[in-house]
Amino acid sequence: MAENNFRALQSANKGKTYFLLASMGVLTWLVAYSALTYFGVGTTSAIVPIAVGISLVGVWGSYYGSDKLVLTMTGAKLITREDAPELFNVIEEVVIASGLPMPKVAIVEDTAPNAFATGRNPDHALIAFTTRILEVMDRDELQGVIAHEMSHVANRDTLVSAVAASTAGAIAILSDFLTRMMFFGGGRRDRENQNPLALVVSLVVLLLAPIAAMLLKSAISRKREALADATAVSFTRNPAGLRKALEVLASDTTVVQQKSNAVAHIWIESPLDGQTVSKLFSTHPPIQERIATLKAMESLGPTAD
Amino acid sequence: MEFIIIGAIALLVIFAVAQYNRLVRLNITVDEAFAQIEVQLKRRADLIPNLVETVKGYAAHEQSTFNAVVEARAKSTSATTVADVAAADGALTNALKGLLAVAEAYPDLKASSNFLSLQEELSTTENKVSFARQFYNDNVRALNTAVATIPSSFFAGFAKVGARDFYEVENPADRDVPNVKF
Repeated sequence: MAENNFRALQSANKGKTYFLLASMGVLTWLVAYSALTYFGVGTTSAIVPIAVGISLVGVWGSYYGSDKLVLTMTGAKLITREDAPELFNVIEEVVIASGLPMPKVAIVEDTAPNAFATGRNPDHALIAFTTRILEVMDRDELQGVIAHEMSHVANRDTLVSAVAASTAGAIAILSDFLTRMMFFGGGRRDRENQNPLALVVSLVVLLLAPIAAMLLKSAISRKREALADATAVSFTRNPAGLRKALEVLASDTTVVQQKSNAVAHIWIESPLDGQTVSKLFSTHPPIQERIATLKAMESLGPTAD
Repeated sequence: MEFIIIGAIALLVIFAVAQYNRLVRLNITVDEAFAQIEVQLKRRADLIPNLVETVKGYAAHEQSTFNAVVEARAKSTSATTVADVAAADGALTNALKGLLAVAEAYPDLKASSNFLSLQEELSTTENKVSFARQFYNDNVRALNTAVATIPSSFFAGFAKVGARDFYEVENPADRDVPNVKF
């Protein structure tokens, strides 16, 4: 079997996500351990649960209510079958191909072509399209975009990014707390008995951990995008549709009006790409790379169904 | 010692139950997927009388084409087994292609809003049929793999679950692979 068919790509990207999520876990442990070395048991056992708690409460709310929250954040409006019968036809086709329940559908008034999916589980899924994407894309391209969004639903990407965000959040809060405490001269009393090297290492870990967590979070987001492209092909068996859609998005220079970092990762094409974000921090793989992967799948020919 | 034996037996029972449930679940998913194909085929069959009437309004003398569609539709609504449904489905798809080819020759018909909306309905239903078929075949693939591979194969007989038929397109034209010579 070829290395670049959609099944191989799906399992490879899933494997990479597990690895990255595990790295997140290791990083959290490393931060907690450094805190232990630097501040001792008393402070650590008080601070770590607080940081994790704050982060969990914050992220859990936005995860649980993601379908409603994103509606207000992006100004998307829910529509019914009567508003766009053809769009609903294409969505229903992909729904049948994926075996998922029918999602809610929303429209965002925007001059940039883009789309996103959210919702805590397939039963509460929401997919949204900008008015512009419905104008510029033909049926095949739209089918590819819808399949990509339904793949996010199928792969539970709202959950994955919530887990990534809460871990990164906890690490950021923890590191912030602890560096402030260092500044005010906190620390364990028995510091004389300690290896100075261990102290320096734990200080470095505490300072660098938030950046590392951000990098991991972005890497997870990129892998989920690549996975969604592969899953989309497993639904439609038509890599050309999504490839053409991405080419349309790549050639379009307008970007979605809202450049809020908070919701950047959910769009099919990153709205932040206009800025010179370094590749390591971007939430999406480079669009040319995604097009190349899909082209490679096309060359494999039609898959028997 | 007794605890180890009891623990081992408990683990074995849990394992067997999980395998049994998995097979039954896969089997039900295949049933569901097949029902979805039938729903979409029914939808398509329901669209046909309307479509034939619309085309007749503009091209009344194309009687043989209409007959072919109506005949194929009658066959497809009476089929029950996977192979029969698949064969009737293929025949109807071909007959419909003939009907749409006829429509090509009548600009007035092609421009009528009624025909346009019927055509959109028909093409989305055709897509839904083929996606339902793909979903069914994916699930049959998962079930047949589970029935044939160890360890789930040991429980297949017990769960009364066996390999199922793929939904194969019985259309000779679709099977013809274009001859490529290098």
